[in-house]
Amino acid sequence: MKSYLKLVNFEFNRFAKIFAVLLSITLVVQIAGVIVLSKMYLNTANEKIYEELMPKAEFLSSFGQMSFLSVTRSVWFLGPIALCVAGVGFYIFLIWYRDWFGKNTFIYRLLMLPTTRLNVFYAKITNILLATFGFVAFQLILIPIETTIFRWILPKEFRVDMNVKEIVSSMPEINILFPTSFLGFILYYGAGLMVVSILFTAILFERSFRWKGIFVGVLYSIVAVAVFISPLLLQEFVLDGFFYPLELFALEIVMGLIVLAGSIWMSGFLLKNKITV
Amino acid sequence: MIEVKEITKNYGRKKILKGVSFTANKGEITCLIGINGVGKTTILNAIMALTPINKGQILINGETINKNMFEKITFIPDAITMLPQMKISDAMEFMNDFYTCWNQKRATELLGFFKLNEQDRISSLSKGNTAKVNLLLGLAMDVDFVLMDEPFSGIDMFSREEIAKVFTSHLIENRGVIITTHEIGDIEHLIDKVVLLDEGIVIKEFSAEEARENEGKSVVDVMREVYQK
Amino acid sequence: MYYPYNTLNVYEPLNTYTKKSCVYIQERIGVVSMNVNFNNRDPVYLQVVRYFKEKIAIGDLVPGEEIPSRRELANRIKINPNTAQRAYKEMEEQGLIHTERNHPSKITTDEKILSKVREALLLEAVETFVTSVRSINVPVDELLNLVRTKYTDDKEA
Repeated sequence: MKSYLKLVNFEFNRFAKIFAVLLSITLVVQIAGVIVLSKMYLNTANEKIYEELMPKAEFLSSFGQMSFLSVTRSVWFLGPIALCVAGVGFYIFLIWYRDWFGKNTFIYRLLMLPTTRLNVFYAKITNILLATFGFVAFQLILIPIETTIFRWILPKEFRVDMNVKEIVSSMPEINILFPTSFLGFILYYGAGLMVVSILFTAILFERSFRWKGIFVGVLYSIVAVAVFISPLLLQEFVLDGFFYPLELFALEIVMGLIVLAGSIWMSGFLLKNKITV
Repeated sequence: MIEVKEITKNYGRKKILKGVSFTANKGEITCLIGINGVGKTTILNAIMALTPINKGQILINGETINKNMFEKITFIPDAITMLPQMKISDAMEFMNDFYTCWNQKRATELLGFFKLNEQDRISSLSKGNTAKVNLLLGLAMDVDFVLMDEPFSGIDMFSREEIAKVFTSHLIENRGVIITTHEIGDIEHLIDKVVLLDEGIVIKEFSAEEARENEGKSVVDVMREVYQK
Repeated sequence: MYYPYNTLNVYEPLNTYTKKSCVYIQERIGVVSMNVNFNNRDPVYLQVVRYFKEKIAIGDLVPGEEIPSRRELANRIKINPNTAQRAYKEMEEQGLIHTERNHPSKITTDEKILSKVREALLLEAVETFVTSVRSINVPVDELLNLVRTKYTDDKEA
């Protein structure tokens, strides 16, 4: 346990720089987006009302009030989120491969630590999770700041005010990142954990058997996904709606846990017996 | 004692090790000699469970390797195992954090012995100094066995001298040391046991002093004889 | 071939050895600017034994004098500590040194053994000399005269 925590801390420090850079990009770009978009709206309003002498009411009825959603639907807002998502996705691979490549082969050290090698796996998967939480938490803190700026720039009659919850739930694309219920949180992040564990296992297959390992890893991923969705497939094609939705739901959770446990076991096996530096 | 028993290792269809057996005793320096690509590094990796073997068995003090064993045996690969952005002091702290067998006092002593500055970043070190840090990290562990992969390769003469001094010091006293090399020159009179490898097998395993005492042959004489057959 | 590590030079000791103790060892076994060139065909431990015998024969090491520990010796003349151990064991067996429990080893005070050492070394040197000089086929008297002159000249120089 102590080694695990030390490893988590160590891995996190290694990621801290990239993490900080991504957070800064998000901060700068999103706030710039809020300012630019609000100013643009305001400019249009000024143009129409003060130059073309359009009555304010007419402007509002033809252009509408500006809501924060026009910020959140813009590339200014979604771009950094996509970047962070891509960053985490990329990091899932980088977190392993960087230990093998380059002149300094840190993997030697990791594999020679006097602790179970699965701790390396756990530490890395924890870091992916931590990074994701970090981004999400940062975004949730950022939104109220951004709406405040939004309110500073736009006079009340030109804007629609929304709170964080309304904003988040109005974006189906990223809803999965910001679950609104505890159950949703557990399910989404549990599923995420499972996916990462499958990917890690695939990576470890590649690191153990190299070219052949890629093939095995892909195969493993397909099987894992198949196992996971097997209740859904059965329900749809074989059992013809035999389960109640709640039963199906429970089955899915069980399957998810099985896949997660299977991936951890397989990774442990590979790390112990098959990995090669 | 480290017992390597009939180990085989294939890379794809290529057979690197075809049944290698030898033993290395505690308190002795055992030298694995063979041309590059003969599988010396693979043997050390296999002992540390850093690569799987196809057949055979490796026992360390009668046990197969397990996580607790990493407090008893250490491996110094030919490249440093720490991150380039770390300072030497960070690397030492890392070792101190994870290993109970880490001896901070000895590490500090070695730091002075090798004339290293602990505030230097690993990425900024010369090749010779990198090798010394690498060695320091392994030697400051109170372990029974130390494996070193080509500790002398590609290093300037002065660093080689410094490193060779380690072999004559109390730092290796009572430890089993296995080192690999493709040329014995510098350390011929320092080693206890020689294991000659060729084409995936051990072609001769002998005691250096016995070869001198019983046959009047230097290690190089024996090598010449065996390899030119 | 010249092996730098076989050569005994004064170098910076490991930190465990203080400067003072270093000088002390040098004085005791008289190794200042002394080169021990090991050859690769004779057992190293026997070469170490021989090195000690020479020191005893020329009086650098006196009867009853303490000699460095195995560890110190290994470090000083750059040999494997195992070899130092073996050399000491050999010297103990030959009666050159003796060790009491928890004390440093000492050169023997047994005059018989000590004179034998000197004798043996001398005999060995003379034998080598005679073997090589015999091929030139010089009359003994001429040879002895030559030896006398050469020997005293060299000493004065």
